[in-house]
Amino acid sequence: MMKEKKKGNKRGLFVLLCIGVFMISFVSSAIFKMTYTPSELKKYSVEWKDEMGSIYTDISYGDEESNKFDLYVPADNSKKAYGLVVYLHAGGFTTGDKADDVKMLQWLCSKGYVAVGINYTLCDDEHPTANAYTQSIDIKNAMPVVVEEARKLGYSIDKMAISGGSAGGCLALLYAYRDKDEAPVPVTMVFEAVGPSSFYPEDWSNYGFNQDTDEAKEGAASLFSIMVGNELTTDMFGTKEYDEAIKDTSALLWVDEKTVPTVMAYGRYDTMQPYLGSVRLNKALEENGVEHEYFVMEHSGHGLQNDNKIYAEYMEAVEEYLAKYLPVK
Amino acid sequence: MSIFFTKKRIIILAIIIICGILLGRFAIRLVMNVMLGGTAFGGNFL
Repeated sequence: MMKEKKKGNKRGLFVLLCIGVFMISFVSSAIFKMTYTPSELKKYSVEWKDEMGSIYTDISYGDEESNKFDLYVPADNSKKAYGLVVYLHAGGFTTGDKADDVKMLQWLCSKGYVAVGINYTLCDDEHPTANAYTQSIDIKNAMPVVVEEARKLGYSIDKMAISGGSAGGCLALLYAYRDKDEAPVPVTMVFEAVGPSSFYPEDWSNYGFNQDTDEAKEGAASLFSIMVGNELTTDMFGTKEYDEAIKDTSALLWVDEKTVPTVMAYGRYDTMQPYLGSVRLNKALEENGVEHEYFVMEHSGHGLQNDNKIYAEYMEAVEEYLAKYLPVK
Repeated sequence: MSIFFTKKRIIILAIIIICGILLGRFAIRLVMNVMLGGTAFGGNFL
């Protein structure tokens, strides 16, 4: 009897041990997955040291509280001219901050570029009318101030590249395609990830806007009106009037033979912005003979989270394009 | 006195550890996929 009880105790103890071991390995593995940087991507970030350069934060470029940028300048200020790389933060036009991209900006600065992260007025309770268009104007207004501030610090900017992720990618494309002729220095290239480049309901299957129902059409008209800052109605879809109404926030509609070289990455299963929009953009770039690289992450969504190998190829292309179109002298 | 960690129990624990590791990664992938989109398998290891 005692022997059997002892045996039962041991079995119970072993079951508890199994549960504990499972929990520990489950949680450790989950934490490891969330925090680990794959070896192929490690070279795209640096352990920042003061000898690499200086960071000037919250420099103002406008009246709004959000009209601020952070400037990263390399330690070597002896060069005649520097390339500027702008990186615009993500956040669905409603959230996010330039501080989110510290790692990217530090990496760019460590390569010898003057790098800048710019905040723009987000669409929130305080600014309900802010939209992709007003944000693109923020960026446009910021650029001369960025170049001037860099000059004051002893870094003369002679050309620039612009980039960003998601909403930042959308704004980067807009500046590179729509506003490049008004830039304070020549814009030589753009690189971006998962930025929406057009607003055609049939592409936005992720929100069900591709369905041929009144509800879907009204939903698309309503959301796109907020995003582009123009009153759009369902009867405008498919007309020239619609293209005109979305043009100022649709990088796609600015593509021509003079469009700057572009590196872009999108997720096939993106639920935030339409993958099909990127197919459209890729086609337009091809038809206009624009030098570009288009990376599709076949297993990923908006975070490009399941295709590290292709993401590394995207970053390699970014490096190649930077070396070609914005070489560090 | 009988041995607590028998060969059988060690094998069971090893299998549980492997399952825990795989399911931990898989759970994060699924949560990310629900939020951002993506496939359950393919691309990265889980």
